[in-house]
Amino acid sequence: MDELEPHSLGDEEFDDETHSFEFWFGAVEGYLSDRPYGHRPATVEEPLDKRERDRLITTLCNYCTGETAALEGASGLVRLAPNHNAKIFMATQVVDEARHLEVFLRRLADLGVSDPDAEIARRANPALLEFKAALLALVGNEDWSAAVFAQNVILETMEYTVFRAHADNADPVTAEVLRGVISDERRHLGFGETHIGRGLADGSADRSRLQEVRGDLEAMVLRVFEDALDDAGVPPDERPELGRDYLEAVDRLGMAL
Amino acid sequence: MADFLSQYSIQRWLEMCPQGYLEDTVYGRGAEEHEPEELLGDEDLLESEISTTVQLVVGERCALAASSGLINAAPDFPSKRFLATQTLDEARHVEVFTQRLYDLGVKKGDLESTVDRYANPNLVKFAEVLLEKVDDGDFIAGVVGQNIVLEGMAFSVFEMMEAGNRDPNPKFAHTLTGTIADERRHVGFGENRIGALIREHPEKKPEIEKMQQEMTFYMLATFADAFADAPPPPPDPERAAAEWHGTDLATATPEEMEAVLANTVLGEFKTRLGRIGLEYQTPVGVG
Repeated sequence: MDELEPHSLGDEEFDDETHSFEFWFGAVEGYLSDRPYGHRPATVEEPLDKRERDRLITTLCNYCTGETAALEGASGLVRLAPNHNAKIFMATQVVDEARHLEVFLRRLADLGVSDPDAEIARRANPALLEFKAALLALVGNEDWSAAVFAQNVILETMEYTVFRAHADNADPVTAEVLRGVISDERRHLGFGETHIGRGLADGSADRSRLQEVRGDLEAMVLRVFEDALDDAGVPPDERPELGRDYLEAVDRLGMAL
Repeated sequence: MADFLSQYSIQRWLEMCPQGYLEDTVYGRGAEEHEPEELLGDEDLLESEISTTVQLVVGERCALAASSGLINAAPDFPSKRFLATQTLDEARHVEVFTQRLYDLGVKKGDLESTVDRYANPNLVKFAEVLLEKVDDGDFIAGVVGQNIVLEGMAFSVFEMMEAGNRDPNPKFAHTLTGTIADERRHVGFGENRIGALIREHPEKKPEIEKMQQEMTFYMLATFADAFADAPPPPPDPERAAAEWHGTDLATATPEEMEAVLANTVLGEFKTRLGRIGLEYQTPVGVG
């Protein structure tokens, strides 16, 4: 597996290779094997003042909300997946999302949060909750392409962008946890872009329907973005560039509004 | 509950399963292991093995749909987290048994038609009874159906097949060893988590027992079909004995094998259902 270059394969062989338990395990083994709960035990905690700690708790509560949406979305998508490879990939994503939730909850516990459910309910961003409801409605309506677009392109791009920016500004333990999560998100985003890109090319995905979904979700996404970057302490001068990352990922699929 | 559920974290699963008993395996077996030449060269035997493996794929596809479908119905994060690990375990089982079909000569393009051709209709019905509960978002019934009935059946079927293949087909036996280890974990979760929920919701008992009765009916019908079609074991004086629950699988007739499997699974059901406060219901004719 180490010598294989998946991008040299045809579509079918690419899916056989990369949408498998074997490939998933080969991928995560490298960055999780010596990191229980997402970070090396030897990584030293940096003292946080009261305000920094409170801001980090809010950020992590929102990450938990996003990951719960991703876990529930991905688990619902397993049954909707149109073929064997897509089902297996979605199953790997289910366990990735559950792991993210686990490591963020663990981080909240490290910070002294004793009732994470109550804390998450108190601090969750309303726009993110609105996004979660919209995503789960797409899954509930068995709208596979729209749900994959919302989950694996829009949500994953948003998380990927925010986590990367946060990792550059975070304390060492949180940064390490985030880097493991980012590696997973890259895989999920790759699946979304490849799958939707192919669907648009062969007509199995409806471009106007996806543009409609993007239109419905865009305002929520941009609100979440702004608040999340604020909570994560990302300097204002870096934000336009991060927003551009998100818009470029969506535009790569020809989803301009 | 919290202490018990902490045993089912993703971290622990990573350490036990992918980084534990699956380390250094490829599709659940040794990288250099292959199906035996005698099997690949015997058309009747090969068809029988393809048919058997298709039933495993059908069962595991049902388990994948059920475990992923139950995540959103789970009442707490630890249960969702466990079901997430089970979802990937079941996906891996689908993958390794599908790979076995390819190893037995099924072409990738013929996978679905092969599954459609050989899938036992009674096993399909068995799956439908369970998935109806999952679709209804009935967490308690879904977990009993999935983690006690389906997994209880799978556990014994895999154990029997592993014992019977240890000598003639070590590759397949090794594939089964990893799935047995997974199923043991799944059954354990079902017993521990659901016992408490059934005590909280005793009104659910009759409906769950009816589901168990229907699933058991279709399971026994599947066993009857499978062993009716099975070829008798070829005489092989060199083959080692394969003792399983008092029966030598190397020399047993299909009728004897069906009897030992059915008795073992039903015995397990009675024990496991009793542990969660349910009474085993003997199947009667179903619709």
